[in-house]
Amino acid sequence: MTADREELSVVGRNWARLDGVDKVSGASIFADDVRLPGMLYGKIVRSPYPYARIVAVDTSAAEALPGVRAVITADDASGVWIGINQPLLPSDRALFVGQDIAAVAAIDEETAAEAAALIRVEYERLPETVDVHRALAADATPLHAKVEGNIAWEQSQEFGDPDAAFAACDVIREDEYVTYPTHNCYAEFHVCVADFTKPGKLTMWTPTQTALLFQKSLAAGLKLSESDVRLLTLNTGGGFTGRTSTRPHHFLAALLSRKSGRPVRIRASGDEEFTVCRAGGKVIYRLRSGATKDGHIKVIETDLLFDTGAYIESQMIVTTLTSSYVNALYKNEASRYRGRLVHTNNLPYYFHHGGGIAQFQFALGQHMDALARDLGMDPVAFNLFNAVEKGHTTLHGSHYASCGLKECIEKTAVKAGWHDKFGKLPPFKGIGIGIGAMASGAKGIFKHDTSAAFVKLGEDGKMSLFIGLPDMGQSSHTAMAIIGAEVLGITPDDVRVVSGDTDSDPLDVGAFTQRGTFNTGNAVKNACTDARDQLAKTAAEKFDVPAEQVVFRDRKVWPRGEPDKAIPFKKIVFDTLHSQEGRFVMGRGFYNSPLKKGTMAYSFGAQIAEVTVDPGTGVVTVDRMTAAHDVGRAINPRIVEGQIDGQIFSGMSQVLYEECLMEDGQVMNPSRLDYKMPRAYEMPEVDHIIVETIDPNGPFGAKEVGEGPIVCTMQAIANAVSNAIGAQVKEMPLSPWRVLRHIEPRT
Amino acid sequence: MGKQLITLTVNGDEYELAVASHHTLLDVLRNQIGLTGTKRGCTAGSCGVCTVNGERGEAILSCLSLAVEWDGRSVTTIEGIRQGGELHPVQQAFLEYGAVQCGFCTPGVVMSAKALLDVTTSPSEDQINEALAGAICRCTGHIKIKKAVRAAAAVMRDNEARDDG
Repeated sequence: MTADREELSVVGRNWARLDGVDKVSGASIFADDVRLPGMLYGKIVRSPYPYARIVAVDTSAAEALPGVRAVITADDASGVWIGINQPLLPSDRALFVGQDIAAVAAIDEETAAEAAALIRVEYERLPETVDVHRALAADATPLHAKVEGNIAWEQSQEFGDPDAAFAACDVIREDEYVTYPTHNCYAEFHVCVADFTKPGKLTMWTPTQTALLFQKSLAAGLKLSESDVRLLTLNTGGGFTGRTSTRPHHFLAALLSRKSGRPVRIRASGDEEFTVCRAGGKVIYRLRSGATKDGHIKVIETDLLFDTGAYIESQMIVTTLTSSYVNALYKNEASRYRGRLVHTNNLPYYFHHGGGIAQFQFALGQHMDALARDLGMDPVAFNLFNAVEKGHTTLHGSHYASCGLKECIEKTAVKAGWHDKFGKLPPFKGIGIGIGAMASGAKGIFKHDTSAAFVKLGEDGKMSLFIGLPDMGQSSHTAMAIIGAEVLGITPDDVRVVSGDTDSDPLDVGAFTQRGTFNTGNAVKNACTDARDQLAKTAAEKFDVPAEQVVFRDRKVWPRGEPDKAIPFKKIVFDTLHSQEGRFVMGRGFYNSPLKKGTMAYSFGAQIAEVTVDPGTGVVTVDRMTAAHDVGRAINPRIVEGQIDGQIFSGMSQVLYEECLMEDGQVMNPSRLDYKMPRAYEMPEVDHIIVETIDPNGPFGAKEVGEGPIVCTMQAIANAVSNAIGAQVKEMPLSPWRVLRHIEPRT
Repeated sequence: MGKQLITLTVNGDEYELAVASHHTLLDVLRNQIGLTGTKRGCTAGSCGVCTVNGERGEAILSCLSLAVEWDGRSVTTIEGIRQGGELHPVQQAFLEYGAVQCGFCTPGVVMSAKALLDVTTSPSEDQINEALAGAICRCTGHIKIKKAVRAAAAVMRDNEARDDG
């Protein structure tokens, strides 16, 4: 018999992703698969030097080549800016290796490449500065006339009285950590197709985590109304925080399309991916913390130096985000933060997976592990003693309405057998813990953090769910369908998610800062509740009960307590659509956090890594990972596990392998053969523990799982390595040669 | 630039194509035949997204294989592995075990896994690792992919037993 129990019937069960059949069948379309009639292929001419004066650009030979349809140089791009201070095509100076100087469009890729090679650029080399300390030296020449001392931006914050707190500490510790430049290594390379053939109207197909911000950026750069820029997001082949802002190729494809009168596709080659589409730059983290001898962390001081490259891209956001995590995990009473962005002749850096926060946690987590050691405390006990709890408000003002941090620490410790292993392992075996917090959204970073959704119901009882949240693999569309289906008592298979066209997408900032499940999820829940209320009115009349007594479940509708009177959901939809009043069912919902900045919900997690270090080579093998994550509620548990797996992979990849090896501003390993990531055989077993704290503000209690796991991984593995070899490796990645330097030669 | 006429069978369909000597099998599949399920990645053999199956079911990096070498031969792509309209056991397992995230590498990984399971439906862990070593997946950490391959192997073993019985 059908019951009208209150338990959830859809949320929390394992659902295959809605786009899964297409994806396993090769039917999913990505931007590189788009082929428009008359489409041309673009190629960008790039500076080979880290710093040079541009003396002359001669395009005559390229323009004379048969098949070439457009060539653009600085003259065609004047007034178009990327990020904050980067000219799209500079006319006077090239400030980094790979900077865009000119671009061509031709009838095929071979002709475009040939034409690009025919463009003669005469340079006069200038002495480059590629090191942040060199750029900060008193005698360094400012890269930009208006930027004194090459400090592009500086942010400082202080809470409580750090100096007084330090004075009251029994143990004070100071460490310096360094992380090196990286690349996101998305499966899908950077690509876009631009159709700018109609005056004042640009249409673009490109992978993105935020069509809305791309639309705004392209409109501002090309002096168009936002609504005249139409972004079409098909599938996005991985985001990893790297597809959050437009890059030069988006603008260049648009300008080439306008000039040639034909659609233009630009796709990065393998070299270009690594040379100009890189993720994070070098960061130096100076940390100083103090604790009382009973183990209470009183104060944390951080001084971060970011190589921001030649121009400012998204690094201001990295410092802002990072600053808010200084006080996120422990009940410290004071803190001080300084973040400085330094201009060098490296490329303008963007984000890597973990958004700067996971990389910061690599430093902070190792620093705290060492502080625990200084205090003679077990790291698990130390973390438990200091961990924030439900109801805590951080120095930053973040309030934790739900918090499962302690539960995560306890459960990982039990599952991993911490107490039987820590301090009792044979030489070169190590165990380490990493803990983390992650916000579900970041209002205040951008102008707003709003998500909207609407739904339309068909005569067959199926729902079209309109959202503006991209799905770059995290299964956000399926999660939204699950939330909507739960509200209406149908199944995710009854839901068609309509998304990826800014002409019809409801307002949504996009899929980054881990805002999707929480923000868009709430909007979807509200939209579906609105639709359900409209249907309930019809059902209430039929059953002669108040509307709030109508139950929607299992594709049926019945008056509460009388499931034997159930009628099919689609019948109620049909009757409502065809009622005399013309109740066209269309639900609207939105979510905009009541806070001025920050978010209403934070996820928490703990991971324990077990490693083996080869004392002869310094190679680290990760034997096992145990991961516990408070995600509020798992909307689709197997997908949550997949998010944890993927972030453990990415964290392990970053902490052990990933580095763009730089020499004079040039990447020396610009291919996936030379830029190492773990292969299938290197992956450890992963034990997942999903902790559900049912957040009062989340949709069905859910919070993010988009980057919560990765903030724990790097520090956990690094701490396990230091446990194995008895010394901290303070530079990331922990390449074998770096590890080996810390291993005492044994006779 | 002179072109050569080749006959290529793709998923059972025969095509007569004029190809330049430097065109790869990947170029031909995507640009001439219009089968975009096979993805273009690094085009240097380092990422595996372009993997297809050759005549003996072996995994082929189509980005490193010249089209002219395929004259008179046949190839199977991700679009051609459904069995009687039903998903291939490897496809079904990838779907069920959450082995798919962004999906860009998926066709190549599925074809790599299928190449292995066409040789043996009782692969060792080492054989699975070796078969997947050329496939880079940034999203899944390969963990659920390996689970899916083991599950697909079990289904294929059952199917064999049923066919034999």
